[in-house]
Amino acid sequence: MTDVPVIRRDDASAAFFDGAARDELMIRRCGSCGRAHAPATASCPDCGGDRLDWVPAAGTATLVTWAVPYEKATASPAVVFGLVELAEGPWMHTRVDADPAALRAGAPLAVRFHHPDDGESFPTFVPA
Amino acid sequence: MPQPDGAAIAGLGMTELGKVYGTDARGLAARAVRLAADDAGLPLGDLDGLLVSGGMSGGVEIDLAAALGLTDLRMLSKVQSFGATAGAMVSYAAMAVLSGTATAVACVFADAPLREGRSAGSVYRRADRGGAVPEWHGLNGYTAAMGGRYGVNTLYALAARRHMETYGTTSEQFGAIAVAQRAWAARNPVAQMRDPITLADHQASRMIAEPLHLLDCCLVSNGGIAVIVTSAERARDLARPPVHVRGWAQGHPGTRLRRDSAFGLVTGAATSGPAAMKMAGITVDDVDVAELYDCYTYTVLVSLEDYGFCGKGEGGAFVADGALGPGGRLAVNTGGGQLSGYYMWGFTPLSEAVVQARGDGGDRQAPRNDVVLVSGNGGILDHHSTLVLSPEATP
Repeated sequence: MTDVPVIRRDDASAAFFDGAARDELMIRRCGSCGRAHAPATASCPDCGGDRLDWVPAAGTATLVTWAVPYEKATASPAVVFGLVELAEGPWMHTRVDADPAALRAGAPLAVRFHHPDDGESFPTFVPA
Repeated sequence: MPQPDGAAIAGLGMTELGKVYGTDARGLAARAVRLAADDAGLPLGDLDGLLVSGGMSGGVEIDLAAALGLTDLRMLSKVQSFGATAGAMVSYAAMAVLSGTATAVACVFADAPLREGRSAGSVYRRADRGGAVPEWHGLNGYTAAMGGRYGVNTLYALAARRHMETYGTTSEQFGAIAVAQRAWAARNPVAQMRDPITLADHQASRMIAEPLHLLDCCLVSNGGIAVIVTSAERARDLARPPVHVRGWAQGHPGTRLRRDSAFGLVTGAATSGPAAMKMAGITVDDVDVAELYDCYTYTVLVSLEDYGFCGKGEGGAFVADGALGPGGRLAVNTGGGQLSGYYMWGFTPLSEAVVQARGDGGDRQAPRNDVVLVSGNGGILDHHSTLVLSPEATP
């Protein structure tokens, strides 16, 4: 598996990466209807509310599906790219740190945080 | 100005397709429109509508009208629904003809992403760009860093894997689609990949993004394709037999990625298919030839289910044993599609549909061609279009 590129924050993602730095997975919750949404949501797709608060998620999820892109140069798997369903309902594209041969849809997962020397802290998921 | 017999495709123009160098997309688009008008026997100056679309290289814009010397157009626009664009364009052209907005509309796509000496994959691979330690910014940057940087192959791999996990679909079943389409391509003189392949070849082809092998993925091509849409009445007086545009529809499901999402399991074809077939006065049982958007083998399989050629989740069993190939149960992607023929987005299924509806397929002509279905798919299963074409004006 290859190294993770360096991740830099922007204004819109500051709360997400601040959360990761203190080992919290931050998601959005609509200030009007209370529904939970993925971190990148801009306005509430359910009620149209445009105030989306940042709230910590439980950090548990189930695996929806995954893909294993290969590095052409080495003909080897690069990463396990997953689509996971957070306990609160939103789905999130993330990295799953597991042997892909052992994965199954619906597998329970838990968040893990990484704190690289350079760049932002970030979450990945591992089998629970 | 009522058009009781509806609209028809009167001309088809195709440039050389594949590793065609030396002409940019704009030049290829202009050539395709001229070829389509010649094919129809229509003077270029008789065009009063032009719809343009381009691919990865860009460069196809509404200034194509000026490049062609077209004057006094009554409709001119660029259309973008990704892989659903071709079907959308033909439907807009048909509606323009039916309403009297325009009388002869050219719809064109061209792209020239391939560069001499560079691999086809490099056109797409985001991971190859940038320096030794790439930096990614914001939430999109996080997704890219986690693996999204490997691009569209990886996103379709997520969809394919979900179908496999949910319904038990297998890589070998995807492979059966690749093998069938290559068998069609072997009979198509303009197909890029014409050497027959076996299921073993598919399984042995290098992994792109599990579960997708190289032979699950479409080609990359340079070239341009255009069609001319006019009234059926006028088309009958032109050079080629009319291909009637009997039905059309789009489906943009707006899939939200959250609990209970149908991502990877159902596409917009589930709504655009029935709507287009209803307009045409047919059912799926009437379809003789299906030209289905095939960015990946998986896309064909899920589309077959959504159109109702088989039940949901039964696509794997449906495609096994050569069902889609020459002499099979259903003629699908008879020119080799984008997997083995040429990659012109929705103009690949559209162009082959016109060939089949005219009966011009030669060695690859399907035994029956009364109803030809054209399916377009764009984004990551986000955008869908359907056309029902026929050599007959009415059912």
